[in-house]
Amino acid sequence: MADHNPDGDPTPRTLLRRVLDTADPRTPRRPRSARAGAQRALLETASSRRLSGQTKTIVKGRSRGARSIGRSAHVQARGHLEEQTPRTLLKNILLTAPESSILMPESVVKPVPAPQVVQPSRRESSRGSLELQLPELEPSTTLAPGLLAPGRRKQRLRLSMFQQGVDQGLPLSQEPQGNADASSLTSSLNLTFATPLQPQSVQRPGLARRPPARRAVDVGAFLRDLRDTSLAPPNIVLEDTQPFSQPTVGSPNVYHSLPCTPHTGAEDAEQAAGRRTQSSGPGLQNNSPRKPAQFLAGEAEEVDAFALGFLSTSSGVSGEDEVEPLHNGVEEAEKKMEEEGVSVSEMEATGAQGPSRAEEPEGHTQVTEAEGSQGTAEAKGPGASSGDEDASSRAASPESASSTPESLQARRHHQFPEPAPPPGAAVLSSEPAEPLLVRRPPRPRTTGPRPRQDPHKAGLSHYVKLFSFFAKMPMERKALEMVEKCLDKYFQHLCDDLEVFAAHAGRKTVKPEDLELLMRRQGLVTDQVSLHVLVERHLPLEYRQLLIPCAYSGNSVFPAQ
Amino acid sequence: MALSTIVSQKQIKRKAPRGFLKRVFRRQKPQLRLEKSGDLLVHLNCLLFVHRLAEESRTNACESKCRVINKEHVLAAAKVILKKSRG
Repeated sequence: MADHNPDGDPTPRTLLRRVLDTADPRTPRRPRSARAGAQRALLETASSRRLSGQTKTIVKGRSRGARSIGRSAHVQARGHLEEQTPRTLLKNILLTAPESSILMPESVVKPVPAPQVVQPSRRESSRGSLELQLPELEPSTTLAPGLLAPGRRKQRLRLSMFQQGVDQGLPLSQEPQGNADASSLTSSLNLTFATPLQPQSVQRPGLARRPPARRAVDVGAFLRDLRDTSLAPPNIVLEDTQPFSQPTVGSPNVYHSLPCTPHTGAEDAEQAAGRRTQSSGPGLQNNSPRKPAQFLAGEAEEVDAFALGFLSTSSGVSGEDEVEPLHNGVEEAEKKMEEEGVSVSEMEATGAQGPSRAEEPEGHTQVTEAEGSQGTAEAKGPGASSGDEDASSRAASPESASSTPESLQARRHHQFPEPAPPPGAAVLSSEPAEPLLVRRPPRPRTTGPRPRQDPHKAGLSHYVKLFSFFAKMPMERKALEMVEKCLDKYFQHLCDDLEVFAAHAGRKTVKPEDLELLMRRQGLVTDQVSLHVLVERHLPLEYRQLLIPCAYSGNSVFPAQ
Repeated sequence: MALSTIVSQKQIKRKAPRGFLKRVFRRQKPQLRLEKSGDLLVHLNCLLFVHRLAEESRTNACESKCRVINKEHVLAAAKVILKKSRG
């Protein structure tokens, strides 16, 4: 008996195995201390096994200690083990987390006689339906988890006290002490089933769910939406998905800090106005605009707050300049709304230009402003076609777009007290508005290229950041400026080459084949390395899917060849 | 200007500035049109260009035993790489 432990590398598992093998069928009654000792040994090793990070020495030490204890208590422990079916014991060890309470062995052992009756039930409980058998668990089984590493016993005790307190409410067939002790085996499980919330909330208050922060409901916006649904329901979905594709976004290149809500609120107003005017445009021009104007008046109330904030933050000078001349004409205000709505709807690819064809350039500029400020593909789809025309007109009135949102806000201000006029004056209104806007670019001619450069630099800065990322070394600022210049040159070369290639193929559109040819000439694409390989290596998945044709279900290939 | 170094960040966004690329192309060649996925390939091209440029300037800096990439390193690297990327 003394020497059933080979000394190669006594892992807890082997130790347990040995103990199991040498277990004899004997009478169950055994001195408590021996039992406790045996269990302690087993548990120590089990726990040390579970703490897989332990060094071998610690394990060995533990196992040796356990071994010594085991040896001494072995003879006595045998019978006890048999009583409990070491298998179930080990199962209990495995099942119970180490944090199950360690209880006083004396108190635990008191109701020893009772448990034996419940042995088979305990077996089941240890296996599966632990929660059902909770009140009937024997303290002897609790000894198993109860005798973990001595170092942890104190903590376990405290925990067990807590668990005891919790378990008071459970239905107990045995005495409370025994129950508390008995339930220590599955104390954690017990807790979860009996009082799931309590321990969690006690242990982890930080994980309590906070109510989602909600913006105050804008009654005006709500009413507006109600009207919108009555007038033009289908557009709402489209428009709502593009909250940022609004002209108002274009101006605050500097004022990004302005919260989105004013924008969205303003945008909603514009959208609503545009939608209504849009729908009414081809139809009744005289009557319906009055109705929307009233709605607009209503909106303007809400928009006022936004407009105020907007105006105050934005460059007031330009806004005020716009405000005064427009004092006269509410028509122009409404026309602006229509035009804005047009630009908005253009963005949404509705395509119906309506009566405000004249304001197209401005709308386009707004569109481009919005596009430029975003620089993403969101507005790209519908904006692409308009962006083509925009680029030309954009240079003409780079400032107008920035000023128009402010002027719009101002106009809404003034539209507020007045009813809607017939849109017959729309043409007239557009003209006084346009010279105003046209007047703007000549004035800040010195800063004319600025908005042109800023988004350009913003785009370049993306590649500059990539450069510094690839370089993996600290760099000077001058070096980064140098990189920008290089990129500029590179883009010029690139465009020239692509033009040549497309012309060579007799095309006016640059196709991916031209790009591939360019990369081949650059030496990036070789016979060994194909374009697809490069795409897979460097581009994220979304772009890969767009570029590399892949077969999907339904006998379809995307992108189509 | 004082010598200021910029340490590379750990996370970079991998999105392609499609609008920016499209705008650049339009500005350069208003008569031409770029196809839908064309700008992604242009972005790929830019990535590779920048990558090569960075590698080259890094090599230059290491050769001159500097801890920081200087303007001259970048300039020399750019000459080489731009020549390579001429197509």
